[in-house]
Amino acid sequence: MKKRKFNFMWFSFYAFLLLIGASWYFVIGVEKASLTELFSNENMEYASKFFKGLLGVGEEEIAFLNQESWSDAFTLSIETLQMSIMAIGFSTIVMFLTVIPAARNVADGSMTLSKKWYRWFVFGLIRISYIFSRAIPELVWAMIVIFIFKPGILPGAIALALHNFGILGKLCAEVIEDTDSRPIRNLASSGANPAQILMYGVFPTVLPKFLTYILYRWEVIMRTTIVVGFVGAGGLGQQFKLSMSFFHYTEITLLLICYLILVFIADYISEKSRYFVK
Amino acid sequence: MSMFSFDLHKRKILTVFLLLLFVWSLLGVKWQDGVIHASGVGTASEIFMAMFTPELSANILALAFESSWITLAYATAGMSLALVLGLVFGILASGVLATRKSSRTFLKGSFRGLLGFMRAIHELVWAWLFVASFGLSPYAAIFALAIPYGGILGRIFADMINDVPNEPIQALQAAGASKLQCLFYGYLPSVKNSMISYTMYRYECAIRSSAIMSFVGLGGLGYQIQLSLDDLNYDEVWTFMYFLTIIVVLIDGWSSLLRKRMAK
Amino acid sequence: MSKKNIIELNQISKNYERKIALSSLSFVVEKGETIALIGPSGAGKTTLLNMLASNFEPSSGEIFIDGRPLSQLTDRKKRAKKIGIIRQQFDLVGQLAVIHNVLAGRLADWGLGKSLLNLFIPQERQAATQALTRVGLPDKMYERTSNLSGGEQQRVALARLLMQKPEIILADEPVASLDPSRAEDILEMLTKIAKEEQQTVIASLHSVEYARKYFSRLIALKNGELFFDLPADQVTNKQLQELYQLKELK
Repeated sequence: MKKRKFNFMWFSFYAFLLLIGASWYFVIGVEKASLTELFSNENMEYASKFFKGLLGVGEEEIAFLNQESWSDAFTLSIETLQMSIMAIGFSTIVMFLTVIPAARNVADGSMTLSKKWYRWFVFGLIRISYIFSRAIPELVWAMIVIFIFKPGILPGAIALALHNFGILGKLCAEVIEDTDSRPIRNLASSGANPAQILMYGVFPTVLPKFLTYILYRWEVIMRTTIVVGFVGAGGLGQQFKLSMSFFHYTEITLLLICYLILVFIADYISEKSRYFVK
Repeated sequence: MSMFSFDLHKRKILTVFLLLLFVWSLLGVKWQDGVIHASGVGTASEIFMAMFTPELSANILALAFESSWITLAYATAGMSLALVLGLVFGILASGVLATRKSSRTFLKGSFRGLLGFMRAIHELVWAWLFVASFGLSPYAAIFALAIPYGGILGRIFADMINDVPNEPIQALQAAGASKLQCLFYGYLPSVKNSMISYTMYRYECAIRSSAIMSFVGLGGLGYQIQLSLDDLNYDEVWTFMYFLTIIVVLIDGWSSLLRKRMAK
Repeated sequence: MSKKNIIELNQISKNYERKIALSSLSFVVEKGETIALIGPSGAGKTTLLNMLASNFEPSSGEIFIDGRPLSQLTDRKKRAKKIGIIRQQFDLVGQLAVIHNVLAGRLADWGLGKSLLNLFIPQERQAATQALTRVGLPDKMYERTSNLSGGEQQRVALARLLMQKPEIILADEPVASLDPSRAEDILEMLTKIAKEEQQTVIASLHSVEYARKYFSRLIALKNGELFFDLPADQVTNKQLQELYQLKELK
């Protein structure tokens, strides 16, 4: 047994070395990507022009010095904030609706002390949907959702929620699986029905952890809002893409500043409220 | 007394506050104008039905394999770079190499700030900035992955190093070990397994991120999904989505296997 | 000052804020002595050992090692050659193989290159094997340290001290979390090694029996003051009773 453990670790180590080597070989040897070309004079000139553009050197209208642009950007920032909250709200709702049957100890009946044949079926179905939701990036979901919904913050929020409910569901189901079963058995033996067990035995212990995960995912969603905007799902991202295509570089700088402010605010709030809940 | 009751109810207060926030966010949508395209419902059901009939013709499968490899290769190359960045910056940001208290505060502050900046910007935005400034090159994707992932790895590595129990380190110091010797004999061996676990978890995320690098014009699964969507070829879209799911599940399985072995 | 005196304490006091942990403590230790520090908890044993280990400085008074002030012994490597420390079992890096924890005793003599190479190809394997054999663990060389039992881990810590070869060994409750038979094992090994290597030992112990059985001299502290300082065979039961007695009723 010991021997096998050793082997698997080394196997993984060499497999990763091989994978890393093959990847770099592919990038350098097959795709012919060259670092020197990347830093060629032409590219450097281009890059310096781009960064000067971002800083507004030699531009006539500098968006980040213009009050009107700031107020537009503020509106967009509020929209983005709404999108992120809506997204985490949707994923939380879906998570709550599915998380209980998705916990292994509920499926095998050890949590509620009642066995039902269909539990494993529901468990599998939900877990597969979690895996699928998690494996597909937000941006791909956004590309699909935008086919169905009109552009705006709603499709963005839905796309973000589609990716995040799987992650949130998996994390929270694990929390339920890790809860101490003794108080629950006690409740059950004192005659509580499954719903009462959930309300008195399970939720009070798991909710603080759930909240931690929800806040953590909200942070990540905040960071990703800009990306789903790229495909027309509203907020700062949509404007970012527009400004990119019109080469309004100073606007991009302004949008990036707003984006960074939002991300840092989200970090700060989520850290503070975690502390608040403790 | 009032303090006590605030303490008791603060979770409820927070919950109500969060619910109100959610309602406020819903007000941001112009519901009265309708939110679904005229043909939206039809499209939705078409897309949904295509889920059960993915395109499995030989040339699409070959294309899927090729794009999977591109996605995997960019993710691996980017992640290997991120690991180097994360290790170096993480060790520096933990402050364990500093000899004096003042220099430790300075190291911690400056490198944690740098790591925070690296990870605050989404990889796709980095990619866009690189492509806009250096042109289309696989390096744009690799660097765009390496910077934010290096930032998050570095931050977590630094936290792990700071959580190492103090006694073994003090014992090493008492045996005459220097700061660097303490790092290699005390800190790094203690956190090695957690570092591997976390890197594996992030590797899975990097695969997804690599897939969406197509949006700045770089190849891979995301690029194929985009092309198929543009052609309204939903069957093909699902084929590529399934491939992406399989890679992610495989990496996830590998990492949980590794974690189990390491725990033993 | 005699040449033989390896440790000399001169009116050492230590205050924490307003609380007095040690008050004007003086004693002299000759080379090769094995000393047990005893006394009720809070008497100042750990404070004293921490000061000898230079973890912090006395509030007043001075400690001399080999006739030179301890405060001048600032070079880490030189200090490691003079003073070695063993505590409860949390001193080892659990994730490392046993041999690396043993060889960590040599870090003071090794440069960075050699210490890195050692992690891949163990250096001075013979010396490590010898040290592990002396503590009775020659077959555990490549085990992960955290898989060892508490007593075994403490032996690994002893093996590390064998590699480090300090002139003075400070032992802070070295057997606090071990069962009695393991504890006696470790103490016997510690004092035997110290005799063979002509090392000086100062150990704090909560058990008076062990102190009398394995050490040559007992220093008793009570409320931060020296209660008695006698050869082990001259300590009477009455003195011990008084030492551990709670505050007398008035």
